[in-house]
Amino acid sequence: MAVKQLLFLTAVVGALSGLLPQAQAPSAPSILITRQLAEIEGLVVGDAVQLSPDEQGDRAQTFRIAGIYEPTPDPMRLGEVPREVRLHLPDLLALTRDESTPAGTEYVEAINVALVDPADARRFSQDVNARMPGVLARPARDAAGSGSTFVVLERFHLAIAAVTILASTVFLLALTIMLVDERREAVGMLRLIGLPARRILLQVLFEGLLIASSGALFGLALARVSEYAINAFFQWRYDTALIFVHVTPDIAVLCVAIAVPLGAAATVAASWALLRRSGLRLARR
Amino acid sequence: MSLAGDRRPNVLSTGRRTLEFAWRSLVRQPARATLGILGVAAVGALLFDMLLLSEGLVISMRDLLDRMGFEIRVTATDQLPGRGPDILDAAAAASSIAMLPSVRSVMTMRTEDAQLERAEGTEIRASLLGVGGEQLRPWTILRGRDVSGDRDLVLNAYASGALDVDTGASVVIRASCARGAEAPPPLEFRVVGIAEFPFDVPGEAEAGTSATALADACGDGGEPSADFLVVTSTGDTDAAAAAIARLRPDLRPFTTDQAIGQMERGGFTYFRQISTVLTTVTLSFALLLITVLLTVSVNQRLGEVAALRALGFSRQRVVLDVLSESALVVGIGGVLSLPLGALLAMWLDRILKGMPGIPVSLHFFVFEPEALLVHGTLLAATALIAAIYPMRIVARLPIAATLRNEVIG
Repeated sequence: MAVKQLLFLTAVVGALSGLLPQAQAPSAPSILITRQLAEIEGLVVGDAVQLSPDEQGDRAQTFRIAGIYEPTPDPMRLGEVPREVRLHLPDLLALTRDESTPAGTEYVEAINVALVDPADARRFSQDVNARMPGVLARPARDAAGSGSTFVVLERFHLAIAAVTILASTVFLLALTIMLVDERREAVGMLRLIGLPARRILLQVLFEGLLIASSGALFGLALARVSEYAINAFFQWRYDTALIFVHVTPDIAVLCVAIAVPLGAAATVAASWALLRRSGLRLARR
Repeated sequence: MSLAGDRRPNVLSTGRRTLEFAWRSLVRQPARATLGILGVAAVGALLFDMLLLSEGLVISMRDLLDRMGFEIRVTATDQLPGRGPDILDAAAAASSIAMLPSVRSVMTMRTEDAQLERAEGTEIRASLLGVGGEQLRPWTILRGRDVSGDRDLVLNAYASGALDVDTGASVVIRASCARGAEAPPPLEFRVVGIAEFPFDVPGEAEAGTSATALADACGDGGEPSADFLVVTSTGDTDAAAAAIARLRPDLRPFTTDQAIGQMERGGFTYFRQISTVLTTVTLSFALLLITVLLTVSVNQRLGEVAALRALGFSRQRVVLDVLSESALVVGIGGVLSLPLGALLAMWLDRILKGMPGIPVSLHFFVFEPEALLVHGTLLAATALIAAIYPMRIVARLPIAATLRNEVIG
């Protein structure tokens, strides 16, 4: 069950074992706090803190910090410092319950249900919706509404990648044309000593494949280093465990699958025009 | 005086001759020159778009907030409007703030989810905005009239179409307030107008009514609460914000600049960061490739350059020739990149606006003259830096040895 509530950290009482009487220590309910909150407030495990449902500090209660946790990274809250506390639900309800609300009649925002068979999620949701009017049950996959945000971002990144590939292809063609032109005389000689154009083209193709494969591998190594550098920078910048760049095996395979044929094709395309000329014309000075 | 006057035409004519010479070098190799220019155009377009993206969302959001006409938003905590707890004594707070001499008008704003139902049974989910205080409204009436009575309702065009209702029709509202914890009774409202809301989202229904009517729909007893207050100052926004903070220390006034600043530190930062990363990658890519293109080109023409030097071309002149070639490739590519970038920006903007909850009038790519200036400066710097290595090759070229190698080779 889940309830979110704005709470106010009204006082840091001190280490329970030190400042508070021993008899009080076991009775103080335990809480978990985020690493960021612990760092900002200088809190450590074992400290006692007072939490209140309002900023005046009324109805404050003492809690013992049982642990410090790293909050689940949330890309939708990038840049926000997660100052969060996790309480046992009965403790939170007791702390936030209005005087007019009898115990046991409070509400929760959501109930998370783990099914024996996760594949039954949709049928279970439909069943709950039919049997319990006023309650909305949704499979966790559907409830993650922000998912479509990431689908759109993925589409955006793909569009940028397409433009980058286009620019690279154009540059690659320009480079290969220049490189092939540089070898014009050598190709002319090969033609004059009797090598057929197809044989030379095959050689150029293998050469192109070799260069493109080496380039692709170098690119992957560079991507791996950039992955580390970009993640390290942004994790430091936003104080989060979120992973910003991740070179997965699928992405690596896709990159190689695009780069190698593209490189080889550019080499062949650039050589093709050259090989259509006669050997004499190519070899003449 | 006369010397300086004489020198200027010389410098200009030398520059023109160098450019003409560089142009002839490019034209002599049309395929590689065209590909080089197209490559720069594609990279330049991406660079231009990243510059538009870096500030686009902020500029667009500021424009959107400015168009609403309110300079200050007042919330219960330092969370941005709509993200923190409600202001429980909204009407009292609005009245006391309205009394301040630096304040012209105050409105309370509250948004809740609601189910809108037509008598025939059609129903849709909508955001229901309740506005209290001044007669000003955040929406613009397209047809019909504005909300005046307690059961008056305005709908956006999508809600009107989805429900198939127009002005004069009755709609039943089931509000979902207090995070859905309570189920208030349904209330009947009369549609009096069709309006455009400032944060209209494509495919999402919005409705507007008075704060009192929304409180009734939520089944609230007593004073209506609000998500936040919007305030117009008499002229000095900062003074008005300071006066509000002094009057109600428990509330947090945000000027538009402060709200934008907070958004920039929050969710907006993603696009700025991605723009920075992609700008760096794009520029490095362009730099590397133009350097390689120029270097290979120069290496292929070493004999020609040595012959020109032997004919009397100065070292400075051949170096300038390489620089001019770089400037021409980058310059022509850069000019072509602007219309390409504009088209690309429209495409990318359309993709990003597919994200849920993005208002119609919010844009990710927004043009401003400063972006054009930065684009030009970055490309000029790229052209210059990319030409350094090939210029060095040309400057240090041993004339006799190169010519000898050329003849023997």
